Formats: sequence, structure tokens, C-alpha cells
Amino acid sequence: MSPQYKNYLSRRLFFQHTGFGLGGAALASVFDRESQAASADPLQKRGLHHQPKAEHIIYIHMVGAPSHLDLFDYKPELQKRSGQLCPDEFFAGKQLAFIREQPNLMGTPKDDKYAFKHCGQSGHQISNLMPHLQGVADELCFIKSLHTEQFNHAPAQLFSLTGFERFGRPSIGSWVSYGIGSHNRNLPDFVVLNSGQILGAGNSAWGSGFLPTVHQGIEFRSKGDPVLFLSNPDGMSDRERKSVVDSVNKLNSLQLDSIGDPEIATRISQYEMAYRMQSSVPELMDTSRESAATHERYGSEPGAASFANNCLLARRMVEKGVRFVQLFDQGWDHHNGVFNALPRKTQQVDQPIAALIKDLKERGLLDKTLVVWGAEFGRTPMAQGSSGTGEKLSSAGRDHHKEAYTVWMAGGGVKGGHSYGSSDELGYSAADKPVHIHDFNATIMHLLGIDHERLTFRYQGRQFRLTDVHGHVVQDVIT
Amino acid sequence: MPLIPAIPHFGILSQEERLNRVRNILNRVHKFLNRVQSLFWAVCLSSALDAAAEDEKAIDFNRDIRPIISENCVHCHGPDPETRDAGLRLDTQAGAMEDLGGYQALVPHDLESSEMWYRIMLDADDDELMPPADSKRALTAEQKDLVRRWIESGGEYQEHWAFVAPEREAGHTIDHFIQKQADARQLTLAERAKASAQIRRASLDIIGLPPTPEELDDFLLAYSQDAEAAYASLVDRLLASPRFGERWARQWLDLARYADSNGFQADQLRDSWAYRDWVIDALNDNMPYDRFTIEQLAGDLLPDATLEQKIATGFHRTVTCNVEAGVHVEQNRTNQVVDRVNTTGTVWLGVTMECAQCHDHKYDPFTMREYYQMFAYFNNTPVEVSVPSGKTDVSHDFVGPFMDLPQSPELVAQREQIAAELKAVRAEKKKLDTKSAYTEWQQQMRAEPEWQTCQVQAFESTGGETSEVLADQSVLMKGKFSAITDYRATMTVETPQLARAIRLEVLTHDQLPGQGPGRGDETRTNFVLNELELEIDGQPVELVDAKASFSQNKYDVSGLIDGDISSGWAIAPEYRKDHWATFQLTEPVELSKDSQLQVVLRHAYKGGRTIGRFRVSVLDGIPKSSDMDAELLSILKKQKPSKSEQKKLRAAYEKSSPALAAMVKKEAQLDKKQKALKPDQTLVMQEMDEGRMTRIMKRGNYLDQGDEVQAGTPAVLPAIDPELPANRLGLAQWLVNGENPLVARVAVNRWWAEIFGRGIVATLEDFGTQSEPPTHPELLDWLAIELVESGWDMKHVLRHIFLSETYRQDSRVVDSQVDPPNHFLARAPRFRLEAERIRDNALAVSGLLSTKMHGRPIMPYQPDNIWRQVGRNEPKWIEAKDENRWRRGIYIVYRRAAPYPSMVNFDAPDRGACTVERPRTNTPLQALTMLNDPAYVEMALAFADRILTESDSPSVAARLHTAYRIAFSREALPAEIEHLSEVVAERVEHFTKDPTAAQKTIAGASRVYQAQHSDPAELAAWFYIGNILLNLDEMVTKS
Repeated sequence: MSPQYKNYLSRRLFFQHTGFGLGGAALASVFDRESQAASADPLQKRGLHHQPKAEHIIYIHMVGAPSHLDLFDYKPELQKRSGQLCPDEFFAGKQLAFIREQPNLMGTPKDDKYAFKHCGQSGHQISNLMPHLQGVADELCFIKSLHTEQFNHAPAQLFSLTGFERFGRPSIGSWVSYGIGSHNRNLPDFVVLNSGQILGAGNSAWGSGFLPTVHQGIEFRSKGDPVLFLSNPDGMSDRERKSVVDSVNKLNSLQLDSIGDPEIATRISQYEMAYRMQSSVPELMDTSRESAATHERYGSEPGAASFANNCLLARRMVEKGVRFVQLFDQGWDHHNGVFNALPRKTQQVDQPIAALIKDLKERGLLDKTLVVWGAEFGRTPMAQGSSGTGEKLSSAGRDHHKEAYTVWMAGGGVKGGHSYGSSDELGYSAADKPVHIHDFNATIMHLLGIDHERLTFRYQGRQFRLTDVHGHVVQDVIT
Repeated sequence: MPLIPAIPHFGILSQEERLNRVRNILNRVHKFLNRVQSLFWAVCLSSALDAAAEDEKAIDFNRDIRPIISENCVHCHGPDPETRDAGLRLDTQAGAMEDLGGYQALVPHDLESSEMWYRIMLDADDDELMPPADSKRALTAEQKDLVRRWIESGGEYQEHWAFVAPEREAGHTIDHFIQKQADARQLTLAERAKASAQIRRASLDIIGLPPTPEELDDFLLAYSQDAEAAYASLVDRLLASPRFGERWARQWLDLARYADSNGFQADQLRDSWAYRDWVIDALNDNMPYDRFTIEQLAGDLLPDATLEQKIATGFHRTVTCNVEAGVHVEQNRTNQVVDRVNTTGTVWLGVTMECAQCHDHKYDPFTMREYYQMFAYFNNTPVEVSVPSGKTDVSHDFVGPFMDLPQSPELVAQREQIAAELKAVRAEKKKLDTKSAYTEWQQQMRAEPEWQTCQVQAFESTGGETSEVLADQSVLMKGKFSAITDYRATMTVETPQLARAIRLEVLTHDQLPGQGPGRGDETRTNFVLNELELEIDGQPVELVDAKASFSQNKYDVSGLIDGDISSGWAIAPEYRKDHWATFQLTEPVELSKDSQLQVVLRHAYKGGRTIGRFRVSVLDGIPKSSDMDAELLSILKKQKPSKSEQKKLRAAYEKSSPALAAMVKKEAQLDKKQKALKPDQTLVMQEMDEGRMTRIMKRGNYLDQGDEVQAGTPAVLPAIDPELPANRLGLAQWLVNGENPLVARVAVNRWWAEIFGRGIVATLEDFGTQSEPPTHPELLDWLAIELVESGWDMKHVLRHIFLSETYRQDSRVVDSQVDPPNHFLARAPRFRLEAERIRDNALAVSGLLSTKMHGRPIMPYQPDNIWRQVGRNEPKWIEAKDENRWRRGIYIVYRRAAPYPSMVNFDAPDRGACTVERPRTNTPLQALTMLNDPAYVEMALAFADRILTESDSPSVAARLHTAYRIAFSREALPAEIEHLSEVVAERVEHFTKDPTAAQKTIAGASRVYQAQHSDPAELAAWFYIGNILLNLDEMVTKS
């Protein structure tokens, strides 16, 4: 073999060992294009651009969009004016998904159940609907001035997760996988866990767009095989499967010797990895060995399909080195009866999220794990449906709202107990220090050690990135 | 030296500063030349890889300089005046040489006077450095040297090659151009591949399926007699096969972003598969590419457009459509037009128009105005979503032009038959309608209803729930929760009476999740009841005239008694309330104390919404419903109802008189049948009578409109004939008039890439100034001209390629000094097949493949729980158990939110947007798919069965040879036979000893397929061989 060819093979092998599936970067075409793009611009190297603040991320997306106004962004003025017709400028010429007639303002009910409490040393105001989260308030860093550009679910989900409102762009998790890969080559870089039905954007919410498909999120399912096609056909034992894989690899080695195509070497290693995954993935998903105390803390139950289980799984994945864990939880689209529906949902997620944060902290993982809580948009301060006067619990809901909403981050590199930006006194628009979705994504990438402007992929004659040509890192939230 | 002017960007400099700058330049040039010298040695030593590029031949602007300028300068000094800095534009010769006030960026032959050179040579920390530090771009030493040599040699610009018409010298062949580039790199082309490899490769490439053992034998025989003739006739046979269109349609359907669903929220299915079939047929018929283009872009606008020409316009109706509640109709429409413009640009021109949607293109010569001129061509079709009348909170309706497809004579006959029956029923109905019956009904209606609650004697359910009969005789469901469940209650009455009607109450209760009345979800406490059946003393009782307290849209209470398990009654969003449904018996029944009423409530909704608590009662009379009946009662009490009141009364009578209602029900059933038989439809493009005015949308925002524009084509391309109509038809005709420098090149390049794994231009989707330069520019032009001159004959061009020596080479990787990735094709490419061909090939090898063509999308095996999204009209996966299970991948239903998962693992896109090239990865998920996907496991069993049936001899070696000939079109090698024989021996021994294991293995693999081989131990053992062979690299690779 010529030295050049050996060199070529070893570069190939390098890629093969950098992450799950990346052996895949078999990318005959993509690989070439990447290397050529890199030589044209030496600054456009993939990977870490600076010292990361966090090595892992658990990104919790509340599908449908929770009413941030009733959870985290307390608006006494809105409560005071509840039932009054909203100001003209909230309605005239505005794009609203459902509201068609000038609506009333609607504040959080005054009842103690919905009241906000000053929590911890930070004094974060968090609704009584999230009592467990109140207990970890000092870990949370709120952004209360986030705004987006889309007001329907599927486009807004695509926009917040891929930076573009239509199909075809890579998701944030796949960008991270592409940029910095993973620690554990027996598990994917980017794992997705769903509770409830799949969100409207479908698989594209964790798709790889024009990036190589090895970077797409892999859904670990709570029913059936956790990873599709993981289990052997009925009647085939683990030992028998091993012998099949050995035979396949033996025959493939014979081919490799006579043909010399490095792709065959890659395939051999991928079959080995597939076999290893058949035990490593079920082990990872099996929470039965977690202590009773842990289950009690999360509200999880071995084998169940629930958001609580997914929180526990997220911690287990981070422990095993998975880079990006994304949780989707369906059921937050409260167009009517928001004050009945919201407590039912918060009851499902409050305890497990707080447990996750505490658990990560106790295990020394929180410092290197970024926890993000977000949604595709917020909800209107105006009522959808008749709002009542605030005396009696309103049966109305809140419509989609893109002008201002609240998300939070915790852990790796963010200022716990801090709050950034604010909405106006009625919660309609981002009043102080607005943060755009592109800024938010740039900040997440920054915390992971990635410069969002430099992690690019050449496609259709231009360098694409997650944040298009926008995005500023919100330095103020970073330690 | 030029004087530095006082323009803000450059700043004002004193004479002293100017002199310093000159000194600086000289210093730098000196340092640079030193660096260049060492670089020269480094390059010489490094590798022969870039032999061609390193050669000191003349600078080629397009090859050497344009990429540097495009990448580093044009973003701020480009065609877009909005973002142009310092009034300088570097993408044109005139711009670069413009007088900037006594100096120029570029002065030909004069390095020192060229400001551009000065700027790029500044130190990294210099504020005036270009590109500036904050752009995060920097030129390499090699690039600077290229710029130096270019300026010194005259600094001449050339037009980007792709915008100049192709030219070719007569007389050459494909091989000539490949040889020429290979020679330049001292590459020796490989020998021809073995005959068996040639037939396998050609078969997989041309029809996407392997040769059968018979085809292999015939070919080898013919090849031994006359290799050239045998091979040529093989290629011709394959090109003429109907399988050709099925294989090549995949690439086009990726471009056309063809799918069977809308995309976005809910992602409902819609019908445009006739378009998919049109593509397959057009490819099989070798429709010339110009006609292929015109019919898809504008078939509807052709004079006397045929049915097929209209179906072809499905190309642009495949675009995604968001019907999510809350979508603004115009925004959705604009997004669709944008997609059509961008896709047209990518597919035919190989350029990315979309950059110009918000501003003039940064790199390529397309202005924002031109973008909207293209937009204007597509801006005249109707909207495709509409808000259901009076409802703002449900998904919108998917509308837009569609067309009925013709039906078979049998179906037409069936429809006529049903129409005749319907007519008879209507006549019968009329007969029953007597005056006395009407009067009796009116009397009953006036009576006050007295419901008698039925006493529950026994209750059981099929879902394993427990239940409790409460004091009020309602049944409360508890314990286990099952989505699919039947409740069966046996009841009696305390007081004998005549039963004319029955009532089902569905009640709330504190113990139910969210209070019920459903028990599936505590937020949406809905139930979906699919059927209600009543038996009295073992006799089924027919029910009519369903009424309810409330019925959810599309879940009308009448669905309970229509005999159709898929329809049913639900009550969203009227949660947490008591509900009722009433029905009349067609024949009144006398109930005694001993009469046994049995009520069956069937739940079949997979989403899991079952009734939490219910109660049943009976009535001697006509049940009243809510508002409607209150009004009727007041009419009935009137002495002289008005005309309109009488009409209302009649209508109510026709619906609820027991005598008539049975006929009404029959009528409804026939009506439903008739609807089920209505012709299939397909989505088409249709121009509105009056077109829209197109305006530039500022920053691409549809709400922020600027100047009006007229339809038109980009100025950089040959002008459109003013005689052509200013619509899609004119645009399509302009594209394929033979003068466009891009259209043919882009098309042949894609075909080349499909065969060789990489385009002559590697960036298939982009031929603009940022594209990869072609590896074989002359070959690209030769193919493009061949396409046009042959009358846009695709198969003619493909035939040239398949008959070339380049294509027929061996693919083994010999110890290559240069070009390891094989860009210059000194051997045949070897790469993994794409998702559809992997499935099709494995199906063919297993012997299961059905070659049935065309029609509605198929649903083969897929794991449970893949399709789960929220929304109205959510589609369901119904696994085919017939031959549809084993048809080619191109026919599998393409649902954008969740495409067929085993194909996704092999890089199939979601078809949400135009896909020009699929990645080709190699992952453990692919290994798991081939090893364990029940679809492939079933194929492995069928393959084993086939080997055992087809082998002439029962010897293991003979069987292995048979297997290899089927799977790989070759004999098995001794080492392969040796290893696999050991596997067979071990497995046969194991399964002979343990017959239960053999049975279990076979059962585990056969979901539908029933194997023929009679010896289970042998079959199970060879199933292992099938599983191994289907997983070999060779099985998924074109070699």
C-alpha cells in the first residue's frame, strides 16, 4: 500500500472512531466535499472552538407551548386588568393563530393554588403549580424576553429547533453531533425521548437536514424495541446472533482482502458496534436497578412510558456520555381551560424536572450538563374564549404568542439564580434585552464550546449554519 | 501608487502614511516571496495528489481565482448593492477596475498598484486587512500566491463556466475524456470487470434488481461467444424493461419532493400517487427530457391538455402544506410558491434562487427583482388550505385543484348498480310515506317521554377491566385500561312495557380520570364509542334515528349504528359533562320482566378513549333531542304552523319515523358505498382565470410588499422569446429550448452521479460560482450536447455511459498512488445502494418480489407505533398481508413526518423539500435493520426456502453455489464454502437435536410467508445462511 493510501485509510479510520455511526462518515461524497471546503477556508474546522462550559445537554421541549405567564413570568398588572379589553395595539394588525375578535386581558387567578412565590436566595418568582421547581430555583437562569417568528406549532418547532420555519435544515442536536460528536461510541451522540404523541414537526425536529444522516437524533422508544430493530428475531439467542455477526464479518473480511475497499472495513466495525448496542442499549433503558428512593424522587416506574422515566433516562444517558438528550413532552397547547389543564400538566413534569436537576448536582454532573427548558413559543396575555373577571376561575385559554416568552437553563456554565431580560408589564412584548431564537441557539452552542458562526456546512453553494446569518451569544447568562 | 481618497471606508491618510504603506508593501512582498519559496518545496514533497493543480501552467480564473473571491470577498463586495461596502464590487472585471478616486482594487499586470493585493497582504492585526478579522475568513499562503500570479498575468475575469453555453469537439467518446484526465495524473485505467460482475452491475444500475440465475447463464453463454454484442444487447434489454422506470423514478421523486402526506402538524395523507406513476411511465417510455419538463411544469396549459399531461403537473403539487389550525392561508400559499420557485431553480438550473428571496444573491448573478419575476410565473394558482366554515379551532381543510382519475369498466358498472339500488330505495321510501303514519308520529311526538332505567344483571368486558354497578344502575369502569374493548351488559326491566326507543347515558364520575366521562386521558376526557348493538332475548334489534346530547365533528352519533367499526361517537371538547344518545327500534318490542336486553358497546379507537360510566334505559315513545325538538314541540302544539314550520316538521319526520327511518338508513348505507367507489383523485396545477399581481416581498416577508414585477427570467441566462406566453408554459419552453447553458448539464450530471456515485460537478445541487469545479469539464459538455442533439433522449445518453469502458472497469482498489477516492475513475466505483434498491434487491434475492406496478401507496411490515401524531384525520398504518407486502420500495407510502423507518436508516429523506443527493452513510443502525427488521428476517427465510428448492443437488456446496448465484451473480469461493459449510453443519445438528428450536426459529421469521421446504431442521439452518448472506457488504453494494 502506498503511504498516501495508508494515510487516506487512517483518516477514514479516524472519522470512524470519533462517534457512534460516524464510522459512517463513509460519506464518499460528503467527506470529499468537507475536506475541500476546509482547505479553502482554514478557519472552518469543525469541532470545539473554545473551552466548553458544558459537555452535555438535556434539552426539554414542552410541545404545544406552556403558559409561561402562569408559571414563571408573573404579571400583577395583567391580574389587575384581567377582564378588560386588551389594548388595540395587541390586536390590530397582529397575527394571531385563533383569536379573531379583540380579546380581553386575562391574568393568573388570584387563588393561592396559582400564586407566585419568591424562592430561594435568588428570589425567582415561580408559580405554586411548580412546587418542586421552586425548591431548585437557585439553579435556574431565566430568559424572560425570548421571542420567535412563527405562531403555528409545526413551523415554530422547526424554527426554534432548526433555525428555519420549513423543512430541510439540520436540528440543533444534529449540529452539535456534527460539531463535537460524542464520548461514547456505543451510543448515539443525539438521543430523543418522547412522552405523548410526536410533535407536529415530526422527525424533522431531530432530523439532520442536509448534514450527513449519522448526525440525526435517534429516538429511543419507550414501547417495543428502544431502538428500532434492536432485538433478535424470535427464537434467536444472543449467542446465535453473535455467531451470525461473526460469520458476516469473516466473509466481509475476505472481501476486504480481495477488493480493498475501506468501506468494507467500516461495515465490519459497524456490525460489531450493532452487536454491542444490542446489550448496551437495553441496559441503559432498564431503570429497574435504580434505587427505590431514586424512583420515588423522580416519580418514575421501571418500564413505564412517562416523562418522569424520560428524565431519569436522560440522567443515565449523560452518565454514559451521550452528548445531546432531547425530551419532548406533548400536551401543553391550552387554548381553553388553561387553568384546569395547566395544573394537570405541571403535576406530571414538576417533580421529575426538579429531581433531575438535584440528581445531576449530587452526582457532580450538573456542572458539565446544560439543562434547557423551552417550547416553540409562549402564550398570549389575552384570553382566548370568554375570560371572566378573575373572581371565578375562567374557562378560557391562551392563544399562541411569539412576541415574548420565558425559558430557563440550568447547570453547565449558566448563572443559577439569574434572570435575564423582561417582558412588558402586561407580558405582551419583550421589553428589556430581547433575545431572539437565533440568540438563544447561539448561546446554547457557545456553552457547548461551539462558535455558531464557525460551525458551518457547505450546501447549495453556501455555508449554512444553525443561526442563518444572525444570532448573538447572550453573555450575561454565562458564568 | 494611487492616492488614497477620502471615502469613509478607507479613511483619510496623510502623505507620510502613504509612504509607510508603500514600505510596508515592499516588506511584505519580500517576506511573502520567502514563504512562497519554502511552500514550493513543501508542496513538491507533500504528495502527487494535487499534481494537476500544482503545475505552473497559466492561471485559470474560474478554477483558481473565482473560488477565492466568491468565498472571501463577494459577501461585502458583491452583486447586492444593499450590502456592498465602499462601493466596491469584486465579482466583475469592471467593478474591480473601477476608479475609486485615483486608485483601483485591481490594476492588471501591476501588483503594487492593485489595492486588493495591498489589503490582503497586511498583518493579521491590521485594521485594513482584507478579508477583515471579524469576518473570520483568511486567505492561505497558496491563495495569496494565486492572486499574485493572476494579477501579474493580467488579472482577467472570465464568465463563470456554467453560465456559458457548452461546446464540444466532434468525434470523441466518454472514454477519451476519462483517459485524458487519467493520463494527466499518471493513472492507469483498470481492466474490464468479469462478465458476471458486468451483468450484476448493469442490472442493479439500470433496473435496480439483480439478474436471475437464468439471465446470468444466458448472458455468460452469449458473452463467451461475442462479448460486445452480448453486453450491448444486455444494456438494451435492461433499458427497455418496465423495471427501469421504477428504479430511476426514485431520483426524480426525491427532486420532486414527492410524498403521500401534507407534512407539518397532523401530516394527513393525500392522493397524488398518479403523479408518481406518471414519472415511472414517462421514464419507461423514454419521454424526451424537454417534454418531460414541459408537461410537469405546465402540462395543464398545453393546448387540449390530455389527462396524463394534467397528472404530470402533480410535480409542483407535491409541495408541503400546513393545515394546522391557526395557519394563515396566504402565508401558506406564499411558502408554497417560494418552494416551487426554489425547486424549479435547483432541479433545472442547478442554482439556488432562494438566496435572492430576501436580498440580491451574494455570489451568483441573481437579483431580488429577478427572483420575484420567477415567482410571478407560479403566483397564479388557487390557495390550497381553507378554514372550515364557522370553525377556527380545528385543522384547516386541504383544498386546491384535483382531478378524478378514470376507472375500470368493472368499477363503473358497480357504481351504476349502486345508483340503481339507490333509486329503488328512494322509491320505496316514498311509498311508505302515508298520511296516517305521519299523523301517528305527530301524536307520539306530543307525548311526554318516560324512560325506564334497565337493571344490570351481568356485565363483562373484553379488555380486562373491572367494573362496579352503582345504585343508580350505572356501570362504573375501573382497573385495567385497554384501548380496544367491548362492554357487554345484560339487563332487565322492572316494569313490563313496550320498547320503541333506547337511551345510552355516558356519565361523569369523580373516580374517573379528569372526571370522565371517558377514561383515556385526564385532560381530554373524551370517549370514542364505535358501535352499539342491542339484542333482546337473543334477537338482534335494528336501531335507527340516532340522536345525542352532542357529537364531535366527524364523530357523529349515527356512527354507532352504521355497522362500520371505523366510525363512532365522541364528544370533544364537551368534556366533564354527562352525555346521552337515543335510538329508535325499527320494530317496537314488548318487554316482560323476564326479557333479557343485551347491550354491546364496542371501542376500537387505538388512541384509547373508552367510556368510564354508562347507564341504559328504554322508552315507549319517540325520544326527544335537545334544541331541535323543543322547537318541534312548539310547532306541534300550534293550530296552524307556517309553511316553513311545516317543512321543518316534515324533515324531522323523515328522519325519525320508524317506518321511514329504516329506509333512510338503507339510503345512507348505499350512499356511503357509492362514495367509497368514487374515482381516485390526484392533485394538479391549475391557473386561476385572473392571475395575481406579483410584488417584491421585502426581506421575503409576504406582508411587506414592494414594487410590482412581471414574470421574467434571469438576465444572466439567454433571454426568453417574447413570443412565448408569460406563464408557466412559456417558462418551461424557455428552459428546454436548447440554448440554456445549465439545463442539460445539470441533468446529465445527476445521471452520472447516480451511476458513478459522484457528479462530474460534485455539487449536484449547485452549478453557481460557489460550485465545485468539474473534474471532467469537456465530458460534461459532451454529454450535455449529446442530450440536446439526440432530441433530449435520456436512454440514449445512459446507453453511451453504460457501454463505455469507463463504466465496465473492474472496481477493485488496486494499490493506488493517487486519487484514493477515485474522482478520476481509474476503476469502477463501488458504493452502497440507496434505501429502495437495498429493499428491492433483497426482495428479488429472496424470491418474494412482486412486480405489480402502479396504484395506491402500499404499507408493508412496519414496527408498531411509528405513526403517532396528533390531529384531525390522523392516518393509520394497515400492514399489507398480500402481495402489496412485497412490492418495490418506490410504492411504499411516503409520510413526511415518519417515513418508512428501515429506509430512513439507509438515508432516505423525509421529502419535506427537494433533495438532490442523498448521503451515503454506514452505520450500526443499518446493521441492525438488515439483521433484525422482521421484513428482512422474513426475506431471509424465503431466501433459505428458495435455495433449498432451486438447488439441483442437496449437497451443501451445491446449495451454497445456488445461493451465491442468486444473491451475488457469481460462484462461491472455496473459503466462503468452507466457512458456510461449517455453519450449516453446526446449525443442522443443533436443530435436528432440538426440533422445538427449529419450529420456533421458523415461526419467528414467518409473519406472512409460509415456507415450502418440508424438513424444519434444514430450513431453520438455512435461514441462518439467508440471514448471513443478506447482511454481507456485497448484498448492499454495487461493485
